[in-house]
Amino acid sequence: MIRFENVSFGYSEKRPILNDLSFHIEKGDFVALIGANGAGKSTISRLVNGLLHPTKGHVYLNGKDTLKTPSSTLARDCGFLFQNPDRQICENTVKDEIAFSMKAQGWPSDLIADRTRAVLETFDLDPEWFPFSRSRGERQRIALASVLACEPGLLILDEPTTGLDYLECIRIMDHVTGLNQEKGVTVLMVSHDMELVQSYAKNVLVLNHGQILGQGPTNEMMKNVEVLKKARVLPAQIPELALRFGDEFKDVFTVEDMLAALRGRAGKGGAL
Amino acid sequence: MNLLNYVPGDSFLHKLNPVTKLLAAFLYGIAAIICGNVFAEVGLIILMILISATCGIAKRAILLTRNLFFLGLIMFVIQLFFVRDGEPLAVIGGFVLFTTGGLKSALLLSLRVIAAMLPLMLLFAITQMNDLCNALVKRLHLPYRYAFIVTTAFRFVPIFATEFHDIQDAQKARGVDFDTKNIFRKIGLVAPLCVPLLVSSLKKVDVSAMSAEMRGFELRGYKSGYKEYPFGVRDLVTVAVLVALIAITALWGA
Ligand SMILES: Nc1ncnc2c1ncn2[C@@H]1O[C@H](COP(=O)(O)OP(=O)(O)O)[C@@H](O)[C@H]1O
Ligand SMILES: [Mg+2]
Repeated sequence: MIRFENVSFGYSEKRPILNDLSFHIEKGDFVALIGANGAGKSTISRLVNGLLHPTKGHVYLNGKDTLKTPSSTLARDCGFLFQNPDRQICENTVKDEIAFSMKAQGWPSDLIADRTRAVLETFDLDPEWFPFSRSRGERQRIALASVLACEPGLLILDEPTTGLDYLECIRIMDHVTGLNQEKGVTVLMVSHDMELVQSYAKNVLVLNHGQILGQGPTNEMMKNVEVLKKARVLPAQIPELALRFGDEFKDVFTVEDMLAALRGRAGKGGAL
Repeated sequence: MNLLNYVPGDSFLHKLNPVTKLLAAFLYGIAAIICGNVFAEVGLIILMILISATCGIAKRAILLTRNLFFLGLIMFVIQLFFVRDGEPLAVIGGFVLFTTGGLKSALLLSLRVIAAMLPLMLLFAITQMNDLCNALVKRLHLPYRYAFIVTTAFRFVPIFATEFHDIQDAQKARGVDFDTKNIFRKIGLVAPLCVPLLVSSLKKVDVSAMSAEMRGFELRGYKSGYKEYPFGVRDLVTVAVLVALIAITALWGA
């Protein structure tokens, strides 16, 4: 789905951001790209959909070289949710805003009407709302609805839940997970919130100073304290606690796991 | 490269009082406006580029001249067809397309636009907006409110440029094709770029106004700043030279 081949990139000649980076992401995967501020996460996500181009090497999206395909064409394969929904909202009503992306991509008008209606319903949005005066969470939901209306095969989320409250965050992430599981949509999520990553991502890619420190299943990476420390990210709390408890807790990753393990241990008469 | 941001340095012009720099840019503009000779106008543009070279911004001056050239070209075309005195120059089937008078005044006007705008644009390269604002308040006792409005407008230019770029990226990611050659499509692209820019600027204004208010914006007067902006010999010399320049262009270029 996404393939980086020896990619180097820098915003200016003097300061390279990425150096000879190679990795790939399979179709249907849910990958979290984690790392500290300035590690290069947003840069990587913008390389995928051709908003940025590598200075060396190649980026392939669905086999298409991003150097040779304009990003407006790549947009058909790849939906992108930015941290700030206000950069994209430009129509007076929610329904026009949602139809906007499909119109830009040249969808037939009857299909646009169908998709708009469906998406309004799944995202619980009122078609006549004036988008600019809705809350932050609602604006982010409008932006996501507009992206997903186009049914992209790949969804990139760049810190999608920053500034959202807990419920709004869960709501957005549940939609995304649903799409990933039911429709096989590939998801690449940029985040530094390890709790979020732990709960939703299948695989993790750890980034530091433009280099990949590790790539693997979320549960494995969460207990790889060394790598996380090097990447300056705070591990999720339950996996870390489990790690400290020792070997007996090696399969514990969620609150439920932890509860079961603790109850089991108490039942056996062991000390907590 | 941003053509309007500040370039640090310690050349003669950098060290001038900000008020003098503003005045000098205006005087140079006046010289360009009263100048009525095509060659003198070209001379003024070249002189400005040479002056920029003394502050290490010759490259920027040349780039700016090139950009202003397009503005000049628009003026040229308009003027060419609307001024009708002098001998007919181009005639199509009995209809006089343009005349010698039209050509002459079009050439002059477009060069004048370039020569008058260039010093104002280069002012940004050697003046920090904060300094200009403070100096206007301190030396001319301009109300802080008005000085602030003007300088803030300029300070926001690069911020808007970045914001504009990010908005364009966001719309590209949705499939909007900005490279289209179709002129009607191109006009349709204005809304997705300008609406988010407008909304975000209005939000910024609101927040900035509140934070300025909370830091005692209302109370600020010409005695508030600690930094003095004295006039020196340097400033006197600069103004004298520019007055002489105006006199020369008035006499020679009439
Ligand atoms: N438009 C830009 N111009 C120049 N440098 C940039 C730009 N955007 C990001 N950078 C730099 O690139 C590095 C990586 O940035 P980014 O990919 O945004 O990091 P992250 O998203 O992981 O926080 C940072 O050091 C940042 O300063
Ligand atoms: Mg980022």
